[in-house]
Amino acid sequence: MSVSHFNWLLDGSIVGLYLVATMAAGLMVRRYVGKVEHFLVAGREMDVHLGIASLAATEFGIVTCMYTAQNGYEKGFAGATPGILMALAMLFVGLTGFCVKPLRDSGVITIPELIERKFGTRIRWAAGMVIVLGGLLNMGVFLRTGGQFLVLVSGLDAKYLEIMMTVLLVGVAVYTILGGMLSVLVTDFLQFVVMSLGLIVVTLLVLVNIGWANLVGAVETHYGAGGFNPFVNQTMGWPYVLFNAMLNTAAVLTWQTTIARVLAARDAETGRKIYTRTSFFFVCRFLIPGLWGIGALAALGPMTNTLEAMPRHLSASVPAGLMGLLIAAMLAADMSTDSSYMLTWSSVIYNDILAPFRRTPWSEKKGLFWNRMIVAFIGVFLLFYGLWYPLKGDLWTYLGVTGTIYLASISVLLISCCYWKRANSWGAAASISVSALIPVAYLVLEQLPSTAGLAGNIGPYYSGIAAYLLSALAMVAASLLKPQARHD
Amino acid sequence: MTEHWFWWLITMACIAWYSTITVYVAIKGAADIKQMLARLSAGSPERKANNRAP
Repeated sequence: MSVSHFNWLLDGSIVGLYLVATMAAGLMVRRYVGKVEHFLVAGREMDVHLGIASLAATEFGIVTCMYTAQNGYEKGFAGATPGILMALAMLFVGLTGFCVKPLRDSGVITIPELIERKFGTRIRWAAGMVIVLGGLLNMGVFLRTGGQFLVLVSGLDAKYLEIMMTVLLVGVAVYTILGGMLSVLVTDFLQFVVMSLGLIVVTLLVLVNIGWANLVGAVETHYGAGGFNPFVNQTMGWPYVLFNAMLNTAAVLTWQTTIARVLAARDAETGRKIYTRTSFFFVCRFLIPGLWGIGALAALGPMTNTLEAMPRHLSASVPAGLMGLLIAAMLAADMSTDSSYMLTWSSVIYNDILAPFRRTPWSEKKGLFWNRMIVAFIGVFLLFYGLWYPLKGDLWTYLGVTGTIYLASISVLLISCCYWKRANSWGAAASISVSALIPVAYLVLEQLPSTAGLAGNIGPYYSGIAAYLLSALAMVAASLLKPQARHD
Repeated sequence: MTEHWFWWLITMACIAWYSTITVYVAIKGAADIKQMLARLSAGSPERKANNRAP
């Protein structure tokens, strides 16, 4: 058990106040939810600034803080490379409206709904399946990582990890189930403010306590030039940069929680503005916790469990009072991410996977009931998956590999939908199959003792690059081989 | 600092940008929520039991 400066009276009061305010705000807006459209996309009434707060809060959870800090600890400043790549991709998409404009203009609730218009109902269903598979496997590690951070920082015994996970989940599930996207947006806003305040204060504390020169010195000592340049870093190199460029561009275009903000925006122009103005946040998202990780490297030196280095360092260096703000900020970050993720994957299950079973339209009451049930089912899945899945390798790479299950094909399908007339359902099916097969095969090979060596030789970056390239190739080849006169 | 000016510059930019955007979005976002809820309230007659789900 680490020595933490957490003071139950002072810090506990700050955390308690934050939790009460969030729960109250989340539950208050549930009375505005009367239709499925309110539940899933907030009646498409979201404006730019709320969109920025919500997108930033959603895309920064404890899990984000942990893997970006781990990147900083293991790779130095070069560990922030994925954030820079994502910001560039988001800026490009926001400025040009590439894919997101036709997507928002189409008036759909999810990407598979648009895919159906071009490739037919079967492809929509298959797209929904891979989106949910990739999304849930990705989100499966969120709870454990969040609980791990909170236990370490607050100095609780590790035996309370499961209880912490369950409490976190139940709190978030209650307001998400009742208020849907409206509750998510309002709580995201509060969470953005609390989270940002905590991030800024703790970053200044790290810079003041350790000092810029010592941070740079620690990176130089442990990683040399590779700690500043990803191309010469031994664990990164061009495959890492290329894989992350592909991954982040695909995520900007199709990551369901990100794209949900475009779809909930008032119009395409608002959606583009949200992207453009949030783009630099993605540099901060990697670099700020990355600095915390580098701070841990400077203060603690090399450790076996690199994921735990940052929380262990903060538990001992953040004073009482600020500790409450840090935990409230991280709770805010985690709750906003969990609620948004549960809601967006549930929207795909309801809108796309269950679509074939809704031959006759459901009443709003029945639709809302099923949406709420699906959110609850996802919560139960997360709890059990989080309890038993043994995470191997670094967290960011796991998230990248599981995300690729759908990011590769759905980004190819979306681009084809918007800009390539000759794309057809054969190409779409081939693209989805290839994109899902490669990352799933890699994950299975990695887990089996007899094939773990082979998976290690291939590595996550080459398998990821192969998934993106072959998925696009499959779309082109199959579409050209079997051109279709009309849609399914 | 001069040797790794890129990372120093980007770190400072992150802190400055993030501090500014937090205050700005905190003020403007609150107004957005107010207007969003007002628009949803104004559209409340649409919330009828016999409405159909998409």
